[in-house]
Amino acid sequence: MHMHTHRLERSMDRLVTDLLGPLSLHRFGHSHDDGAADEDDVLEQFRKQARNVHEEVVHDHDVSCVEFLGSTGSGKTTLVERLVERAPPEETIGAIVGDVAGDDDASRLEAHGVEVVNVNTGKECHLDGSLVADAVAEFDLDSLDRLYVENVGNMVCPADFPLGAQARVLVVSTTEGDDVVRKHPLLFQACDAAVVNKADIADAVGADTDSMRDDIDEIAPEMPVFETNARDGVGIDALSSSLPDTPHAHTH
Amino acid sequence: MHELSIARSLVEQAVDAAADHGAERIDRLELEIGEATHLNPDQLTFCVETVAAETPAAEADIAVTSVSPEGVCDCGWSGRPAEIQDLPMAVPDLRCPECDSRLELTAGTECRLARISVPETDDTT
Ligand SMILES: Nc1nc2c(ncn2[C@@H]2O[C@H](COP(=O)(O)OP(=O)(O)O)[C@@H](O)[C@H]2O)c(=O)[nH]1
Ligand SMILES: [Mg+2]
Ligand SMILES: [Zn+2]
Ligand SMILES: [Zn+2]
Ligand SMILES: [Zn+2]
Ligand SMILES: [Zn+2]
Repeated sequence: MHMHTHRLERSMDRLVTDLLGPLSLHRFGHSHDDGAADEDDVLEQFRKQARNVHEEVVHDHDVSCVEFLGSTGSGKTTLVERLVERAPPEETIGAIVGDVAGDDDASRLEAHGVEVVNVNTGKECHLDGSLVADAVAEFDLDSLDRLYVENVGNMVCPADFPLGAQARVLVVSTTEGDDVVRKHPLLFQACDAAVVNKADIADAVGADTDSMRDDIDEIAPEMPVFETNARDGVGIDALSSSLPDTPHAHTH
Repeated sequence: MHELSIARSLVEQAVDAAADHGAERIDRLELEIGEATHLNPDQLTFCVETVAAETPAAEADIAVTSVSPEGVCDCGWSGRPAEIQDLPMAVPDLRCPECDSRLELTAGTECRLARISVPETDDTT
């Protein structure tokens, strides 16, 4: 079904000259093992922006940075509220909140003493590295200890757009149905940890969290899974202690 | 719909390359899209056509090739990962067929302009 690209490229060469006569072709670097090829990859350009954010926030300024993503209503803001409540009082916490419209999440987090930069993405359905870089520029990074990024409620395109956080935490809730993992496999593969939230109402909505775990294990092997009830603060400690804490504990 | 911002980058690259070759027109744009992305070839083609209007690429044919995933494992295995069954889209199985550890994808997540065709000019770069 899917012909290998190199072979196809060669037959395309012939095709183009056959059909259209002599042409001058400009070939962009493209082979997988050719490092220069990355320069032409548009998605790689977005990933590079994300790496720059990571470098600046995590490595240059020692700020631990975690992204939360998932559908609207899955419990991302509630989880961040619970994590903020658990933080030591001397910790300075910032949040970047992506929203298609409005700033409800921003005011909720501000009420918890978090410095918030709201990114109204307007027509864009996801945050990308450059939007986050602009938002990061509004913080005094020297005074910040921790930065949470809440992505726009969307289970599709954030998979293609990392933001530079140390961990991408995908929050799904039991109300989304226990087939939510199989419906959004690429997003699970793109994330570092999964939270199955609203565990308190799993039985009521007929969601089988064990089968969700099995699906995650098949699609995103080795991904840690946390079951939480963010509303009542259940399961938050396990999540909190697994989140990256010491920015320089890793190298690249 | 983020296909639009991606289309903008692709057309920009193509127009720049055509200008480097002294070409006034781009006849064909060839794109490669990794299968393990959410980019939809039809949507992307549509967006490229939209963005290309009133550029030298306005009349260009657009060809999209999908790129199969390739993976590597710490154990030394590399190759084309299997596909996970019973999913609504093609998704690579990231479990190493040799040791069950998680594979790292080395292809299948890209989106690039592979080639443009421009009318013959004196420049033979
Ligand atoms: N029952 C229950 N409700 C929750 C839980 N977590 C969040 N909620 C509720 O779900 C709604 C959406 O939560 P929110 O944090 O705004 O979701 P977000 O859109 O992902 O940021 C709110 O009314 C929360 O109170 C939970 O674990 N259990
Ligand atoms: Mg929210
Ligand atoms: Zn050239
Ligand atoms: Zn998007
Ligand atoms: Zn790092
Ligand atoms: Zn292996």
